[in-house]
Amino acid sequence: MSETVASRSRIKDPSQAPSGHQAIEWARRNSPVLDGFVRKKVNDGSLRGKRVAVVVHLEAKTAFLATVLADAGAHVVAAGSNPWSTRDNVAAALVERGIEVHSTRGSTNEMWEADLSRVGDTSPDYVIDDGGELTIRMARDKPKLYAQLKGVSEETTTGVVRLRELERLGRLPMPVVAANDAALKHMFDNRFGTGQSTVQAVLALTNLRMAGKRFVVVGYGWVGRGIAAYAHALGARVTAVEVDPIRALEAHSDGHEVADMTTALSTADIAITATGGIRAITSRHFDALKPHVVLANAGHHDHEVDVPALIGQADSVDEVRPGVTRYRLGSKPVYVLSEGALVNIAGGLGHPVEIMDLSFSVQALGCHYLASNDLSPGIHQFPLELDKAIATAKLASRGITLDHLDEDQTDTLSEILDADTYQSWGNE
Amino acid sequence: MSSDAHHADPAVGRDMIDFAADFMPALQAAKAKVAQGGTLQGKRVGVALTLEPKTACLVEAIASLGAEVAVLGSSNSTKPAVANALADSGVKVFAEAGSTPERSAELRELFIDHKPELLIDDGAFNVRRIHTGRRDALESLDGVAEETTSGVRPLRNMAAAGQLEVPCVAVNDARTKLMFDNVYGTGQSVVMAILDSTNLQMQGKSVVVVGYGKVGRGIAAAARGLGARVTVTEIDPVEALAAHHDGLNVATIIEAVTSADFVITASGIGHSLIADHVAAMPDGAIVAVGGAGPPEFDPSMGVSLVWGDTVRDHIRELKTPDGKTVFVLSNGYCANTSAGEGNPIEIMDLSLALQLRAIDYLASNNLPAGVHLLPREIDDEVAASQLAAAGLKIDTPTEAQVNAAEQW
Repeated sequence: MSETVASRSRIKDPSQAPSGHQAIEWARRNSPVLDGFVRKKVNDGSLRGKRVAVVVHLEAKTAFLATVLADAGAHVVAAGSNPWSTRDNVAAALVERGIEVHSTRGSTNEMWEADLSRVGDTSPDYVIDDGGELTIRMARDKPKLYAQLKGVSEETTTGVVRLRELERLGRLPMPVVAANDAALKHMFDNRFGTGQSTVQAVLALTNLRMAGKRFVVVGYGWVGRGIAAYAHALGARVTAVEVDPIRALEAHSDGHEVADMTTALSTADIAITATGGIRAITSRHFDALKPHVVLANAGHHDHEVDVPALIGQADSVDEVRPGVTRYRLGSKPVYVLSEGALVNIAGGLGHPVEIMDLSFSVQALGCHYLASNDLSPGIHQFPLELDKAIATAKLASRGITLDHLDEDQTDTLSEILDADTYQSWGNE
Repeated sequence: MSSDAHHADPAVGRDMIDFAADFMPALQAAKAKVAQGGTLQGKRVGVALTLEPKTACLVEAIASLGAEVAVLGSSNSTKPAVANALADSGVKVFAEAGSTPERSAELRELFIDHKPELLIDDGAFNVRRIHTGRRDALESLDGVAEETTSGVRPLRNMAAAGQLEVPCVAVNDARTKLMFDNVYGTGQSVVMAILDSTNLQMQGKSVVVVGYGKVGRGIAAAARGLGARVTVTEIDPVEALAAHHDGLNVATIIEAVTSADFVITASGIGHSLIADHVAAMPDGAIVAVGGAGPPEFDPSMGVSLVWGDTVRDHIRELKTPDGKTVFVLSNGYCANTSAGEGNPIEIMDLSLALQLRAIDYLASNNLPAGVHLLPREIDDEVAASQLAAAGLKIDTPTEAQVNAAEQW
């Protein structure tokens, strides 16, 4: 079995497996929910023999998720959702554990496309997707296999938007669980996870100080909120740029400055994009940039900082530190981190382990929910009781106890809490 | 972040030095000021600081002022690419990353053989060595500028005992150093080094900070800002009361560590965190040092612990007698310089500008042996130079204010 898996896989170097195992073990150690409550729950036989494709940034935490699904009896095939985030040692360790992998770090775009295609060709029953990357390609390139998909669990805001678009076009023949919309995912992963790890990556790549910086965050969704909060906590003065008046008002109420792009960028020492769109910082903004400004992206696409436009206008392009590229616009140096790719993943270790413990618990339970229920085609909410079960398991792992309502304390309060939860958390 | 291929390439080191230089306006201003006096022309200067890009900027500034510079870097914090870039530009470099303790000691002797007239020391290791085993280098030594709290302390002890034979400037005690480097610099860089090497989150963590001096305050603020619940342990009632007023929990160390996720030392004093404390920690706790190197964390004192595997870069297991595993960052060396790039560039801009001004001050004044503070004007000028670079203006006191301040 293992040899077949190895020969089917495409990885960099099998000899890197030992350090990959160590990294996966560290992830396991710090993933009490996935390794406890979730492992037990998915192990009920409903995933036995099912083919599950995991197309998420292929590093230690994702690898641990893959092993939990494999331990539950699934045939797991893994690829990276971005060619720059794969850890070759982790890929090697997975293959050694009998999981088929198609990914190498820094592969060309063509190679990455070929990897996704190979994963699609395994005819997965279920896809754990990130950005809808595999699902969309299967819809486009493999209509027959696409029609046989039994379900998709989607990780990101961007991916859910893309899959909703497919649904609108009448091209979503299978049930999809919007894992991203789970409270335990976007409230934690997008805000705390991306927030902390983005700030971390910016500081690690540049060795700059946050205290006293003029810091611009473009987009004040969950990701932008988290980044702004931690930049502020470390002493930066934050300006948020928004196109949505409610979010702009929220940023203002959080104590940040709010301004239009040109005004904001003209003050920026560091500017981070977190819009989930494309070309958030582009040619028409370049004149406003101060010399030595640091630009980075925390949104899903690698095109939020318009690097092609910078290349087009720059007099010189040099990597001045690992992961830091300097573009000279006339006499003005502008720095871009990790070539505009997701800076926390391409320029750092990605999200903290404990955050991914929650996110991947949602993904694993999302996949299990698809496999153990006969859901109709279309996009489904992640069940609130599963959200709550994950939170409860996490709290228990920390030895934290909750209060409870007695019968004489209004019998509608718990319903109000649930309604609030959906209204405020579900609409992102 | 540097990959192995980049590890020792002097061209990479050169780029990193140049990148840092662009964010060091105070050092540039200090260099221009010192150039006016010409005091460093022809001097032998020794620089014993963490050997990475910011220090390299200081070294090159000193060299450009006409001095002959030798550099000593430690085995655990030297960045080879930077060391090689400096060596290529003609600086005498005594630094080998990962050198054995014996080789490190040998490098120190070679560094002292340079017979520095002016010495920038970190932890007072070289000035102490010169006063004891290397008195041959004492006569030519005109003055010392000391970088850290844990170096100034032994110098004051030496002075009190009548044993300090050269003038030493306590650069550490300058406001522009102590209020920034120790607080914001170490605070940010120690917390980030822990997060970078563990890939863990700070939100919801129980963090124990041992010592609530400047460094402890910075670490506590950064950890709390990122979502941790912080408990401070102290031996000084005033600092402990300050922690209480800052909204932090205060407890004895043996009590605090029992529920800790991260234990970060910031005491600057040897044997502050010992094996008995490790034995009281929960399984999986992580220990990092933010103050001074060994023996601030002393795992050999108390119950017997056993070192285990290195499970990630910079993270090593330490096993307790009852089978728990605690993880130690960088073997108990300062986390920010060992597992990271040290303090942020703009922070070191201030500290290193002060260092440059301090050796100029030593060279242009015939100070008596003892520990001296850097004059207030120099402190103020360095702070003002970074404010100016940030485009910030401040007020000057009016005559009425000056008069009011002088009344009694």
